[in-house]
Amino acid sequence: MVRPAGLTIRRPASAMYSGPVIDCDVHHARSTDAELIDYLSRGWREYVTDRGRAGNVPLTVQDGLPNPHGFMRADTYPEGGGEPGSDYPTMRTQLLDVSDVRRAILTFGDDSHLAGHHNPYFANELARAANDWSIDRWLTRDPRLMSSILVGTQMPEVAAAEIRRHAANPRMVQVMLVDNPFGYGFGHPVFHPMYAAAEETGKPVAIHGGAGGWANPPSTGGGSVNTYFETHVLWPQAIQTHLVSFIAHGVFEKFPRLKLVLIEGGSAWIASLLWRFDTEFKGLRREVPWLKRLPSEYFAEHVWVTTQPLEIAPKRENVVELLHSMGLEDRLVYSSDYPHWDADEIEYLSTRLPAEWHARVFVDNACALYGWKSAELMKPARPAAARP
Amino acid sequence: MTVDVGGIADFEDRRFRIVSAGGHEVGVLRWRDRFFAMHNRCPHQKGPVCLGIVSGHLSSPAPGSMELDEGRPVIACPWHGWEFDIEDGGSLWDDGYRVKVVPVRVEAGRVLLEVGKGA
Repeated sequence: MVRPAGLTIRRPASAMYSGPVIDCDVHHARSTDAELIDYLSRGWREYVTDRGRAGNVPLTVQDGLPNPHGFMRADTYPEGGGEPGSDYPTMRTQLLDVSDVRRAILTFGDDSHLAGHHNPYFANELARAANDWSIDRWLTRDPRLMSSILVGTQMPEVAAAEIRRHAANPRMVQVMLVDNPFGYGFGHPVFHPMYAAAEETGKPVAIHGGAGGWANPPSTGGGSVNTYFETHVLWPQAIQTHLVSFIAHGVFEKFPRLKLVLIEGGSAWIASLLWRFDTEFKGLRREVPWLKRLPSEYFAEHVWVTTQPLEIAPKRENVVELLHSMGLEDRLVYSSDYPHWDADEIEYLSTRLPAEWHARVFVDNACALYGWKSAELMKPARPAAARP
Repeated sequence: MTVDVGGIADFEDRRFRIVSAGGHEVGVLRWRDRFFAMHNRCPHQKGPVCLGIVSGHLSSPAPGSMELDEGRPVIACPWHGWEFDIEDGGSLWDDGYRVKVVPVRVEAGRVLLEVGKGA
C-alpha cells in the first residue's frame, strides 16, 4: 500500500489560485462535416459524400442518452454560429486567455467516439483524418495547444501505426481511448499493440470517461440505465473497469514505461477501489502471478487522474483526505472539460483543494505526466501571442 | 525443547498434519523428502492456515504465462486464500505478514520439532 508522506488534513485553505495552468481536457470540435471530409482520402470522401437526398454517410456515432440541458455550456456557442469548441477565437476568449493557461490538451468532440463505429476500416480513416484536422486547424493557431491522438481501437495494429505516425510530433501528446469496441477491459491483450506503440513513442495513454458506454453501451455494471442522470453518476464505472483491467492483465509489467491518465471519471473513488484491489490481490494472486507488486503500487507509479468532475462533499476536507490517502496530490492534473456543461472553473477548483497542492495540480503533475519542464512553463511571461 | 511428533511414515506427502507442540497447534508438512512446520494460525484473521491447500509456488515471467516451482511449497489459508511460503512463513506479497515457522528435523526416522520459548 502506498503511504504518502504525512499531511495534516484541515479544512483546505480557500485561497483562489491565479497562477499558470495546464488544462488537460479541452474539447475542440468541428462545426461541419466538410471540415473533416477535407482530410479523408479521395476514396473515403467518395464513400461518404454525394449520396443524393440521403446526404452524407454519418461521420459520428451518437446513440447516448440525451442531456436535457444539452451537453454544452450555453454561453460557449460561438457568436458567429457553429458548435461549442469549434471556434478558436471564442475558445481563446473564454478559456485560454481568461486565466494564465500555458498549455491546453485538446480531446475532440463527438469524433472521439469513433471506436463506436461498426465499420472498423471507416473508424481508422476517421481517426487519421481527425488527427490531421487537429494538427492543421488547431495546433497551428496557438503554441499552447496540444492534441490527443485518436485511434480506431477496433484494429489495434492499425491504431499502433497511427500512433507511430505522430511519434516525432511533440504536440500530439497522448493516445486517447474512449469507446470500447470489443467488450473487454482495455487491459486485454488484444489492445496491447497500441500500448507497445505508446510506450515506444513516449506518449501516455488516456482513457476518457464514456469509454465502453456511449456508442456501445452499457457503461454500467449490473445493467443499462435509462436517464442521462443515471449514466453520468455511474460514469466512473467504465473507467474503473479499464483501470482494474490494465493492472490485472499486467500491462505495466509488459510496458514498464507506459503512463496512463484517466480523464473525466472522478477521483474520490480511487482510494476505495485501490484498497479493495490490494485486498483482493492478497487472496487471488495465484490468478495473476505476473503481478510483482500490489495494485496500488502500479497505480502510484503509472497512473494520473484529471480533476474534473471533482466530487463535492458537504465537508471539503473529506474529499481531500480521500485523495491524500492515495497520494493523489502528486497525480491529479487540472482539467476544465470546456466547453461541456459540467466544466470546472480554475478558481472554483482551487478553493476545493489545499493551497499547498495548487502548483502540483495546476502545473507540476501534468509536466511529470507529459515530460515537460515545469520551471520553463512557470516562467512569468505569457507565451508568444496567438494568431487570431 | 524437542518434541517427537511421529515417524516419517506417519506423514502423508504434501499434506499438513496438525500436532500439539509447546502449547501451540503446529502444522507439520512432508513435502517429498523434506519436512516443514509452522503455527496453524494465519496472521490475517487467525484462521487455521495449515488446513488450506498446499502447492508449489506459481510465478510468471510475463503476463499470460505460469511457472510452477515444486521446490518451494506454498500454503493458501482456507480463510481468504492468503498465500505463504512454507519454508520461511512469509507472505507472497508482503514480508510484513508471516506465519511463525517451527524448526523441524528428522533423526533416525523420527520427525522432531524444536519448540522453545515463544515457539
